[in-house]
Amino acid sequence: MTPKEALASPWLTVRVQIALGLFFVVAALPKLVDPPSFAHMIYNYRLVPGAFVNLMALAMPWLELLTGLALILGIWSRTSAALVGALLLVFIGAISANLARGNAIDCGCFDVSAANKTVEERLTDMRFVILRDAGMLLMVAQILFSKSRAPLAHPPA
Amino acid sequence: MNLRRHFLEAATLVLAAVLCALVANMLASRERKLALVGSYPNALKINPSASLSSSAADSPPAGSGATALSEVSSKVNGGAEKRPRPAPASIPEATSPAQGSEAKNSSSSPAELLKRFPPHNKPFVEISGDDVAWLFARRVLILDARRTKVYEEGHIAGARSISVWESDVDTKMTALVNEARDGAIPVVLYCSGGDCEDSHMLAQKLFGAGFNNLLVYRDGWPDWQKRGGKSAAGPES
Repeated sequence: MTPKEALASPWLTVRVQIALGLFFVVAALPKLVDPPSFAHMIYNYRLVPGAFVNLMALAMPWLELLTGLALILGIWSRTSAALVGALLLVFIGAISANLARGNAIDCGCFDVSAANKTVEERLTDMRFVILRDAGMLLMVAQILFSKSRAPLAHPPA
Repeated sequence: MNLRRHFLEAATLVLAAVLCALVANMLASRERKLALVGSYPNALKINPSASLSSSAADSPPAGSGATALSEVSSKVNGGAEKRPRPAPASIPEATSPAQGSEAKNSSSSPAELLKRFPPHNKPFVEISGDDVAWLFARRVLILDARRTKVYEEGHIAGARSISVWESDVDTKMTALVNEARDGAIPVVLYCSGGDCEDSHMLAQKLFGAGFNNLLVYRDGWPDWQKRGGKSAAGPES
């Protein structure tokens, strides 16, 4: 088995899908339970116009949940992986922008309650979050790579 | 063709997420509900504490306020905002708007409050715990801008809860405005101190509603606890 074949193996892909899906489902739950706190987190990023903060706080957790579930269940997994990839890029961009301008924030990724951390602790966390999200982007890449090599479910007639 | 199918799948997922969000928000309890369109005028401004203005000197308070009001903050506004406000024609004689009839029993008078904390014509001014203790003793209106569940865990005794992050903020503000309080009388607002801005955001909203003497407790609830100030727990009575 060549490295490419190993990377695209269904055995690996299924496990990556489930792991990535679980990440997103777990991340969505606290945000679904407490949308105002998540809105506060989004506000702290200082990147979203005020009028859209609440809409984003309401819709994003559901998108995370649905894409996560789709990945776990193997439904529309290529599309879900692409959406998850897009979300991860947005997260990485948002945190990087705030790191660059020294705005220390709680990322609000898995917990929406404000943590009593120092500025330095927050900045360290933000760097870690970027690395973690980049790791998840690699998982997305694996899924997309694997799916691109898989035979088409509905071959053209 | 494949691309079109993926696009349709993505659109379906996004649409489903939006629909679920709308339905869930409709069914959510008051504390967990959000107004669909947010009203956060400073959502794109960062590092507010770096823009502290020294223009407090424009209207320094008499009495202890020299230090207390030396940090007029434009934390939320990003600059000292000055705009014409309806000034009170005269100082009310009988009651402080702070606590209505309760104020009659207090030793303070509106004149005393206004002498120390004159209307400043700014969205808010930050004050210290000593000033809050002084105002608390004179039963001024105190507003807790933290989330309701946090308020219920413990708050300054007599404080009213108005969380800027909950969907009923406008209803509570309207009720407050309808009490026809004199906007020149000091109102204290607080949240969790530190980098918490909820009280500043609430002050900005109230300033827009005609309150002209909003005092933000800079160090907030943690400082009040540290001081052993009178507190209460449970829902607003």
